[in-house]
Amino acid sequence: MTATLSPTTQWTDVFKTAKGAVYQCDEERCWYVDFAGKVAKFDYRCLLKLRKAVYHIDIEHALLNTTKDPDVEIIFICACDHCYVLSLLQIIALKEILEGTFVMLELNRILHERLFTVSV
Amino acid sequence: MKDLLRIKSLISTEIETLLNQQVKKEAYSSSVYLSMASWCNRNGYDFSSDYFFKQAEEERLHQLKFYKYILDMGGNSISPEITGIKQEYNSFREVFEEALDQEISVTNAIKNIYARCMKEQDFITMEFLNWFLKEQREEEYKARRALELFEVIGEEGTGRWQIDKHVGEIKYNAGA
Ligand SMILES: [Fe+2]
Ligand SMILES: [Fe+2]
Repeated sequence: MTATLSPTTQWTDVFKTAKGAVYQCDEERCWYVDFAGKVAKFDYRCLLKLRKAVYHIDIEHALLNTTKDPDVEIIFICACDHCYVLSLLQIIALKEILEGTFVMLELNRILHERLFTVSV
Repeated sequence: MKDLLRIKSLISTEIETLLNQQVKKEAYSSSVYLSMASWCNRNGYDFSSDYFFKQAEEERLHQLKFYKYILDMGGNSISPEITGIKQEYNSFREVFEEALDQEISVTNAIKNIYARCMKEQDFITMEFLNWFLKEQREEEYKARRALELFEVIGEEGTGRWQIDKHVGEIKYNAGA
């Protein structure tokens, strides 16, 4: 369950696919997104911004777009240190990872609620 | 694994989105009422114009109430963009018909948020919304009463002048 990818802190797997993964670090209260050849650190605000940016991309529109410009999207998140330049396939992969991540985080929330609520 | 989402925010992202939509709805209402105030003033219905000015201000306060609640709960309030406000009306009566439509759509939107809160067991937001549910009771009552004046007074002769005068006197006595 826990993976130590960094020498100093403990990371927990949140969600993983063949293309990448998201880990949570309880000590630093943040997440590490392992995708497109780099591991980037996101705090709560930035992770939500990343999700919003990725969900906002109209994949269907990009697929049907027949103009000659390259199928590349630049994801730049205001006030975060990271920037992604991704192909359409990568965007689909990242979206899948983020969707899975938020499902797992939601599940974690439900578990916490149930575990720490005294049941009668 | 810690529940980091919960540490940062009391409300879920779904509720946050709905509340932000409501911020926009209240801002839209405010703009609509302001437009109605202008139309009434231009057409000589001064009491109704004052009535809509007051409504516009109230809607602005509703907007801020939602806006601050989102922030207080650890969420992100979004300042809305408002476009497409109708500036012309075909008749005095049409203004009040659309005012009621607007209030009904606001009531429905708040009920929808409430339903989502029940599903999530977000009792805190439900308690916050209670104030708005009560407010909508008053808002719909006033809008309906204004339309009723068109029936009981009638628009013939000095009817519209009479209606305008009475619009300024509409009050809701909840008694509870
Ligand atoms: Fe309102
Ligand atoms: Fe209202």
